[in-house]
Amino acid sequence: MSSGLVVDSLVAGYGGVTALDGVSLTAAPASITAVLGANGAGKTTLLRVISGLVKPRAGAITLDNNDLTGKGPEQLVRAGVAHVPEGQGVIAELTVEENLRIGMMSRRVTRAEKAQGLAEAYGRFTQLADRRRKLAATLSGGERQMLVIARALLARPKVLLLDEPSLGLAPRVMTQVLDLVVRLSRDSGITIVLVEQNARAALAIADTGVVLNLGRVVATADAQALAQDVALRHHYLGF
Amino acid sequence: MVEFLQFTLSGIVFGMIYAAIALSLVLIWRGTRLLNFAQGGMAMFTTFIAIEVIYKTGSYWAGFVVALAAGIVLGAVAELVVIRPTVGKPQLNSVIVSIGLLIGLEGLAGIFFGGQYRSFPSAFSVTGIHLGRTPLGITRSDLFVVAAVLVTTLLLAALFRFTAAGLRMRAAAFNATVARLSGIRVGRVLTVGWALAGLLGALAGLLVSPSTFLYPNSMDAIFVFGFTAAVLGGLDSPAGSVAGGLLLGVGLSYVSGYLGANFTSIFAMGLLILILMLRPAGIFSGTSLRRV
Repeated sequence: MSSGLVVDSLVAGYGGVTALDGVSLTAAPASITAVLGANGAGKTTLLRVISGLVKPRAGAITLDNNDLTGKGPEQLVRAGVAHVPEGQGVIAELTVEENLRIGMMSRRVTRAEKAQGLAEAYGRFTQLADRRRKLAATLSGGERQMLVIARALLARPKVLLLDEPSLGLAPRVMTQVLDLVVRLSRDSGITIVLVEQNARAALAIADTGVVLNLGRVVATADAQALAQDVALRHHYLGF
Repeated sequence: MVEFLQFTLSGIVFGMIYAAIALSLVLIWRGTRLLNFAQGGMAMFTTFIAIEVIYKTGSYWAGFVVALAAGIVLGAVAELVVIRPTVGKPQLNSVIVSIGLLIGLEGLAGIFFGGQYRSFPSAFSVTGIHLGRTPLGITRSDLFVVAAVLVTTLLLAALFRFTAAGLRMRAAAFNATVARLSGIRVGRVLTVGWALAGLLGALAGLLVSPSTFLYPNSMDAIFVFGFTAAVLGGLDSPAGSVAGGLLLGVGLSYVSGYLGANFTSIFAMGLLILILMLRPAGIFSGTSLRRV
């Protein structure tokens, strides 16, 4: 019996600031959930709480009925939650291959499994294969995004949290990244929670949309329905 | 010309010791962004442990091994007990705590081992080596100093470069958030880093003490030289710290040889101030400062 990722009445903040004020959402297995909203709505904080980087003050997080509330990121990645943070996700001082090897450190892997994991990553992301010995600092923005996603996949996640994966990418590369997200959910059965500034693009690939405003959920609906809700779009999503 | 050769060689010998201290400081700096002021004090303490073991057992090597093990334990315990509670607090807290650790260790050394100057034995003969009829100004013991630091440094480099544990340490040092999200237990990695730094410090204490005597403050000056070497190399770079140690060792040897031993400290301090003013990222860094 799997019920996916369930976030229930989450409250979290930094010091005196409350960034999340009772946020709930359910991401069904192998679905794509787009979390939308303006800057400061609490999108990034929501992902940081789900991956354990920020401890919640109240509320609960469960994955397939296992309680994950209050655990650290080191445990959560072992429980199947992988988080691709915004921007600085690659370790620029390490090579491409070293970055990928880090992705397997949450699992016990044999030498053969390690080689197989790397081969899979290079098979899926062929542009990384040519640059395996290069420092990640030398990669382009799109290649970096591919590298962080490849690294997150090597942890064999059930849930992938993506924070602004298209940020700063050229439109063509952005399309590639979003196509990849779709394939990960459809073909690999990974549950995806996607935070995006580009609401139109995110809703186009998502099953469900969740709109945050000032730390509260103002709408949860089918992604297509949200995209057609003109009033909501104008008010919160700016398109 | 012979003089110059002698100054250079003995400079390299002391440079290796500064390099060991510098490397231990860099290991901790990279992991925690903390300058460990207690590094010299920890080295002094483990060297006292060595001297006690040597007197009890009559074996230099027993003392040597016990001191290195004590360095590992002391480093790990210092991180777990003293430094860990300051994580996430203002940076000044950890600085003050590490100074407190230094004062505490120096006080404890006085209580346990006494405050008087004690001579520390060498592993090998201290009679000068000659090349033909030319005295080189160094001894077999000095050769051991160079070899010991060189081997330890290369082993550490191999650990960082080729092992999973080394990759974990580098990942944690460069980007702790990504490391944690990838399942690396960063706290444990930091403890290992401090243990390795403790090992290097203990080695430096063992190697330098035959030429300085041993007393509770005996490592203070060595710490300052090691710190200068680390800053020279850029604090972030293990290779830079070794190069910085050698440069400083040779430089100080010329100053001491040609101008007089009284000038070494002022030269090191002046150099430290100059680097911090002109090239705060170290003389080897090509890139601009990176603040984390």
